[in-house]
Amino acid sequence: MTMRMLPLLFFFLALAVAHAQQEGGGLANSSPLDWNSPDKSPRSLALELAAGNAGEGYQIHDGFWSGTLSKGVPMLIEVHLFAGNDYRFSSANLDPYSQLKVSIFDAWGYPAGQEYSGNASCATAGISVIRSGSYFIRLIMTEGDKVDTCMVYSYK
Amino acid sequence: MLSKILRTAALILMAIPSLAPAAEERLTPEQMRDASFLDTVSIPTPGEFFLAVDKQCQPNWSKVLRPVVPATTSDREIIALQLGILVADGFMAIEAQDGQSVKNSARDILLLAKKLNVSHQILARSQSISDFADVSDWRRLREELDAMQNDIRLCLLEQKDNPLVVLAMAGSWVRQLDMASNLLAAGENPSSTDLLAQPEIAARILSRVENLPENSKKTPLIRQLAEGIRSASTLMSTSPLFLPPTAVQSLASTMSTIAAAAAQADSKK
Repeated sequence: MTMRMLPLLFFFLALAVAHAQQEGGGLANSSPLDWNSPDKSPRSLALELAAGNAGEGYQIHDGFWSGTLSKGVPMLIEVHLFAGNDYRFSSANLDPYSQLKVSIFDAWGYPAGQEYSGNASCATAGISVIRSGSYFIRLIMTEGDKVDTCMVYSYK
Repeated sequence: MLSKILRTAALILMAIPSLAPAAEERLTPEQMRDASFLDTVSIPTPGEFFLAVDKQCQPNWSKVLRPVVPATTSDREIIALQLGILVADGFMAIEAQDGQSVKNSARDILLLAKKLNVSHQILARSQSISDFADVSDWRRLREELDAMQNDIRLCLLEQKDNPLVVLAMAGSWVRQLDMASNLLAAGENPSSTDLLAQPEIAARILSRVENLPENSKKTPLIRQLAEGIRSASTLMSTSPLFLPPTAVQSLASTMSTIAAAAAQADSKK
């Protein structure tokens, strides 16, 4: 009986080792600039969106916001932008039926910059900064259910 | 003629979406007060800052660049501070388009990271930096150095070294202001002092430094750092839009003193 169980025991052991190797791979400490990551995630999509600006000379900042957005509940992030620089804020999620919107507001709360259309689950807003100081980036989902979303930014 | 009119009409139509934000509502003071402030998104990178300084002042970066060789110390708090300063120096070397200085900064960052047990995670980044420096790819260099800084931050957080993350961030910010305020104090472009007015960031970094565990604040240098950031914060909140010449001089003196002290620091507590 014990001998018959041995192959089964080896099989589970091999399975456990393979799983552990996968866990200990690059993903555990992956960086936002890990272009080789095989999985699609809100972050990888947001990076793809931002990478589209590279041709215009934008460089991607290795920092991001990620979290769950619910329909109609905005996420507001304070940033400090410098006069003379151009910025683009790119946001994405994996729900193709969602409608994502990114907007920029100045230190007094007035809308600033431009919004660029992406597809429904991707959106970008950009600004050429004239006055250095605090700005606010608002992410809002106008259509769709709760969904994990990520935002990255690039500058030139 | 008709094609000209059609082209103009098309241009106007294309411009309409850009006017769309004007129709949006204004944020309330409560919404702005409750906005999230994230270290990795809300605090600008040295790359962004120096790029803006470059556009406004067109300084001779090669003359401004004066890389610091940090004194050897076993004090982890001081090492973290020195590491932040070196990261800022690396970004400045990129602006100076001095590939060798960028490589030197990356090498010194790696040495300090080793002392904090986080070097093996940034080895590949260090190699990439060397490769991009060899081909003068300044855009990719900014991205890689930024990524290296973030990797160090993530590794320190992983090993529960949160105070060191705060000190590296403070070191980088102090060095940026040190270089830029000295540049502006020398009269490079007085109208650009708005770049130095960062009251929200000063207040956030000050709060993080003041809330460090008591053990991390025992070193005289860290107390000097807190004092310097407090003074910078006061200057910036008095003139939140741009800094008058006296404030720029004062900021330059304060930040230079801290950066120099960090480079020469010993580990006596």
